[in-house]
Amino acid sequence: MSNPDASPPQFLKISSLLTGFTETELIGTGMLDSYLNTILKNSAKEDVKYFFENAKEILDEPNQTEESIAISTRKQLMPDSSYGGLAKKIIILWYTGSWKVNENSSKIISPASYKQGLMWDAGHTHPPGAKQPGFGSWAKLPISVMINDKSKTNGN
Amino acid sequence: MEIKNYDVVIIGSGIAGSITANILTNAGKKVLLLEAGLNAGIALDAENAYKTYQGYLNTFYENSIKVPNSPYPNIEDAPSIDVLDLKQIEPGKPDTKGYLVQMGPIPFASDCLRGAGGTTLHWLGTTLRMLPNDFKMKKTYGIGVDWPFSYNDLKPYYEMAEHEIGVAGNKESMEKWVKGQLKVDNYYGSKYQFPMEEIPPSYMDKVLISEMEGKEIVLNGVSHKIETVTTPQGRNSTPNSKYSKAGIRWNPGSKKLEFIDADFRDKYEPVGSVWDPYSGQRCEGNASCVPICPVQAKYNALKTLKKADHGNLTIKTQAVASKLIINSISNWIEGVEYKTYQEGHNGKYDLQTAKGTIYVLAASAIENAKILLASGAANSSDQVGRNLMDHMTVLSWGLNKKERVYPFRGPGSTTNIATFRDGDFRKEHAAWISPLDNWGWGWPAFSPGSDVNDAVTQGMFGKELRSFLEDRITRQVLVHAECEQAPDPECRVTIDPAYLDQLGNYRPVIHYRATEYMLKAFEAGREFVTQLFDKAGIEDYTVYNPEKDADYVTYKGKGYSFEGAGHIVGTHRMGKTKEDSVVNENMRTWDHDNLFLVGCGNMPTLGTSNPTLTMAALTFKAAEAILNQLEN
Repeated sequence: MSNPDASPPQFLKISSLLTGFTETELIGTGMLDSYLNTILKNSAKEDVKYFFENAKEILDEPNQTEESIAISTRKQLMPDSSYGGLAKKIIILWYTGSWKVNENSSKIISPASYKQGLMWDAGHTHPPGAKQPGFGSWAKLPISVMINDKSKTNGN
Repeated sequence: MEIKNYDVVIIGSGIAGSITANILTNAGKKVLLLEAGLNAGIALDAENAYKTYQGYLNTFYENSIKVPNSPYPNIEDAPSIDVLDLKQIEPGKPDTKGYLVQMGPIPFASDCLRGAGGTTLHWLGTTLRMLPNDFKMKKTYGIGVDWPFSYNDLKPYYEMAEHEIGVAGNKESMEKWVKGQLKVDNYYGSKYQFPMEEIPPSYMDKVLISEMEGKEIVLNGVSHKIETVTTPQGRNSTPNSKYSKAGIRWNPGSKKLEFIDADFRDKYEPVGSVWDPYSGQRCEGNASCVPICPVQAKYNALKTLKKADHGNLTIKTQAVASKLIINSISNWIEGVEYKTYQEGHNGKYDLQTAKGTIYVLAASAIENAKILLASGAANSSDQVGRNLMDHMTVLSWGLNKKERVYPFRGPGSTTNIATFRDGDFRKEHAAWISPLDNWGWGWPAFSPGSDVNDAVTQGMFGKELRSFLEDRITRQVLVHAECEQAPDPECRVTIDPAYLDQLGNYRPVIHYRATEYMLKAFEAGREFVTQLFDKAGIEDYTVYNPEKDADYVTYKGKGYSFEGAGHIVGTHRMGKTKEDSVVNENMRTWDHDNLFLVGCGNMPTLGTSNPTLTMAALTFKAAEAILNQLEN
């Protein structure tokens, strides 16, 4: 596969835009390569090619603002009619660890992808059965909430 | 043909079978234990136990739908009930898709696990005792039947069960409510201690309690006060320094089971995982008790089986009991036929017979009844298979508009609303317990995965999506009304030669319905939650789907869906006379002097407690009776 636009660094950038998670948070999951491979393996080559070209255009737009990028993304990448719905599939992959096969079926990529689902982080928790926060931690506010709100450092 | 004659042959290695095997082998009895599940599951040595369990865990991670049986192998030759097979039954057309043959009119909604360790591998771990009135429902409320003994008679055995399981609890919380609302003294007793201190109640519990405790609910013109109680649990917590028991043993002199007192220097040590006694000694907050605790801080029956005297214990796995052989003259059981499968998927097996002095069926309420029916055993009362019960569980869910509660953390439930567990209303409708559920809308709506899907389908992405999900997930509240199903002779397990599994064993044929006594409870339970949500500032999002929900019922024009609670109870009830029950107060069948039944099937009524603790207590009582019979 020689598609310069579908490189891991480009995929990271577009993933951050689509998920609302920072590049550091996404790298921290350790899933970048695995998810890129999943996309390349399960999508039509043409969809992948034009999706990444379009994504590059949006990211490289001159005079861009956060808002202008969001508008372009919504209009060009997010519609189901764009690139086989790839943008939505990428978001669901990062958030749930699952590849959406069709409307009624999705498949968890691997035990690691389940554990790294971003939906748990979005909800200030952890995937059931992994990344356990420790005895009695559930009696307090989540740590991720406490550090963002110094007034609640006691967690009560 | 099995040559050896054992003292006792036990069918099933779940909690009832394992407690029985542990007590009997340590009392010097030779025991054969037959287990239908795969051989790998029974491993108790460090390397193999770890390997097998990590296999379960990875299967759980990879399974898209994480139902209770999802981590564990479903063996074609000895299938387990799968809740994914549940669907509405068309009138006159039994649903035969899964292991159960569902005759209806509505399907039985609970599963259990056929495998080493049984359903304790995926139980939640709630260890509430039953209430004194639960043992005398007929006398007190004119409903169902009375047990052949009282709460106080069972109390010493409850203490054994709480020791064996390793219960973490707050005695004062429960006693305050029992004494206040029910006017019962000495429920646990002033001297009693739990092995471990309470599992800390969740952050969500604290928020909800502050919003609802003491508030008034009016149902059918009667005012009730909301009272919450900390839930005792079979998972490892901080050891209680006042706990002074070290074990349970048979005393051949007094002919009773008794506690071994701990040396004053010894502190209670939580029982760790099967593969490593020093891991799993505290709950680590994995929040996946159902279907699997990754560190085995939650009790499972393999921990008990490991403590058996293995010099006296023979275990045969992949061995599916199919029939008891009855001596036509003495009416004693003289053998149990079992089929040992090789692969598990091709229906090939060797037919063997096991022989012992006493036989114990410990194969689950449904399997026990099925084996008895297949054998023409123990059924002179015509009660075998009848009174199949469960907690019919009506779920209500909403969003806490006032503040975020941060669910999906900690054990499944750490606090329950006890108000409707007992009271005069039981003359009119079923009682219920309302656990506060710590896992958001996971059960009714597959959250948070469904929240992600919905939001993305609507076109959300980026920071907007993240912040929408943050808000949606952290406000989710779920409250159950787990309604006590009253015994109903028409809710039953039967067999039919037209429905066999691939080993040629009978599949359970289930008849199930909800009586008006239950429907009234659904109505009252929903009314209760509506008022509760209103007072606590929770916006109701509950939806019952008339087309899709398997157990959708209507009452007075309104629809309700209920779920199974996994509490499969009552198919071989215990009683005072052989005319109206299958076993006596010691769980020996009235019809066969050397056949005992253990497990939830013995329970004449269900109460509002999760049944495992009571079943474990009953099993200690049965084990004591078996030893008495062997030594007389």
